[in-house]
Amino acid sequence: MPIHYPRAMLRAHRLHPMELWGPPHVERHEGSRHFQAYTCDIVVKAMSFIRSGGLGASKAILVPHTCDALQGMGSVLGDFLDPDQRVLTLYLPRGRRGSDHEFLQSELRRLATTLVEVSGYEPSRADWDEAFEAEDAADRALADLYQRRDRLAISDRDFYTVVRSREYLTAEQFCQQAAALPEGDPPERGVGLMISGIVAEPALFDQIEAMGAHIAGDDLACGFRRVYSVSAQADPFERAAYRLLTSPADPTCGTPIQARVETLEARMRALGARGLLIYDPKFCEPELFDVPLLRKHLGACGFPVLHVEFEMGDRLPHQTLSRIEAFVETLS
Amino acid sequence: MSGIAAIGIDAGSTTCKLVAVDPDGAIMSSVLEPTEPRVELQVQRMLDAIRAKQGADSSVPTIATGYGRKLIKEATRNLTEITCHARGVFRDLGRAGTLIDIGGQDSKVIQIGPDGRPIDFMMNDKCAAGTGRFLEYTAARLGVSVPELGARALCTAREEPISSTCTVFAESEIISLIARGAEPDAILRGLHRSLVGRVVSMARSVGVVAPLMLSGGVAKNEAVRKMIAEATVEEVVLPGEPQLMGAYGAALLGIS
Repeated sequence: MPIHYPRAMLRAHRLHPMELWGPPHVERHEGSRHFQAYTCDIVVKAMSFIRSGGLGASKAILVPHTCDALQGMGSVLGDFLDPDQRVLTLYLPRGRRGSDHEFLQSELRRLATTLVEVSGYEPSRADWDEAFEAEDAADRALADLYQRRDRLAISDRDFYTVVRSREYLTAEQFCQQAAALPEGDPPERGVGLMISGIVAEPALFDQIEAMGAHIAGDDLACGFRRVYSVSAQADPFERAAYRLLTSPADPTCGTPIQARVETLEARMRALGARGLLIYDPKFCEPELFDVPLLRKHLGACGFPVLHVEFEMGDRLPHQTLSRIEAFVETLS
Repeated sequence: MSGIAAIGIDAGSTTCKLVAVDPDGAIMSSVLEPTEPRVELQVQRMLDAIRAKQGADSSVPTIATGYGRKLIKEATRNLTEITCHARGVFRDLGRAGTLIDIGGQDSKVIQIGPDGRPIDFMMNDKCAAGTGRFLEYTAARLGVSVPELGARALCTAREEPISSTCTVFAESEIISLIARGAEPDAILRGLHRSLVGRVVSMARSVGVVAPLMLSGGVAKNEAVRKMIAEATVEEVVLPGEPQLMGAYGAALLGIS
């Protein structure tokens, strides 16, 4: 489950992650029996998917403590529903102090013990090194993709299709895909928007393009917020913790609002974005807390902000599309 | 030779409007009809009629707005109602400020900048509360026609509070009030207050910058105007033809 987890640690234990962000085209009813009515689609639809046997080939479900809804999902799965897969939780600290690093390292050690039980495999030093090497290469490839965005002759939909393929491909497959993207003269792409939020479905990019705009940059949990820094600590837990705790600003990681504003403002200026589109699944608490402050502070810096909530898998209603289109018109 | 410089089309959910303007932006001709199910065919017919009347051909820039704007194949360009209403009202009243546009299907609050462009806006979506449809739908339950609504709401001092902002639940509330013998005009007054409460709350979230201007069909309703002025303690200003402002703005954008 989203968002942040130690990929190299899974690989070292010979486990391959497949991420569940929804999935969008699953009905809510099976999952909604276990949650409050306002719980977001990412959690409820994932629960529906799991309950309908969608994870038949998996050995375990890793539920990081990204938000209260996901923590609730971890508890409901582990304590009440007893799925065929082992349910693993990961408590992520909300700060980036020395004590947060120490806490996360101990969490990762606890998780590693469980991973040995799940996989039946205890990684050697060489396994850890190989895993970090491969996953660091994929992390670098992702960072490089963002660096090269303006030189890639592809649409936003195609770009994010590759970015999000990290959710299910191996590190090697992802690197290969990223390297194969064609470079060329950037097409004329209209008004630049920064998009923020958890996840954006592919159709949105087509609609934004049809409105005469493009995604100049993103602050998406499924995108730029996972451009991790790589490091070379000898201790694998220290190294994995460093990766997770040096990710870009992210409200689910407790990034203070001022730091978020400063980061977003600097990136928007650098990337030529004229406004911020906050695109959230309904009732996404960690994101919603920041919305009024982002609107206020970025507005004061000359960057208008539009907040749109959506339900995963549903077509965006005409009125919502009109709001985005009007926002683009005000920026043109 | 035709003096038409551009035509604006507002294919709205309740009414369909066309406005033709001369090179100075003055309205030369306009037409308004209830929206038909095949809006694209209706607009084509209206467009042919206005062109024939003014001796214009299809080379005149034609800008479409409204919910049906993307269906208008002859449109040179389509733009949202927000941009078009802002431009139309700005030209008509010559003032920047806050525009409340209450349409049949949605309502919007638009802050208009000193150049007539929208600076910020808020729009209700996915819900009929706070729209013309709310009044139309609930008034139908009382057997009152839309043009009568405002006057009926103002002819009584009594007011039955409608606690629900949801159109469907409000209708249930009306049925209960009728069953309790409440006066229809007092119910209508309560309905207006409910709609205005919703719209004003949206306006406050954008920030009300005077003057407060109204457009859209509901702007013709005097009770709505009066209650918005009371709730905001601001003067409410109306353009000459509030229902035509979307099409007028579209036509003006066709010239520019």
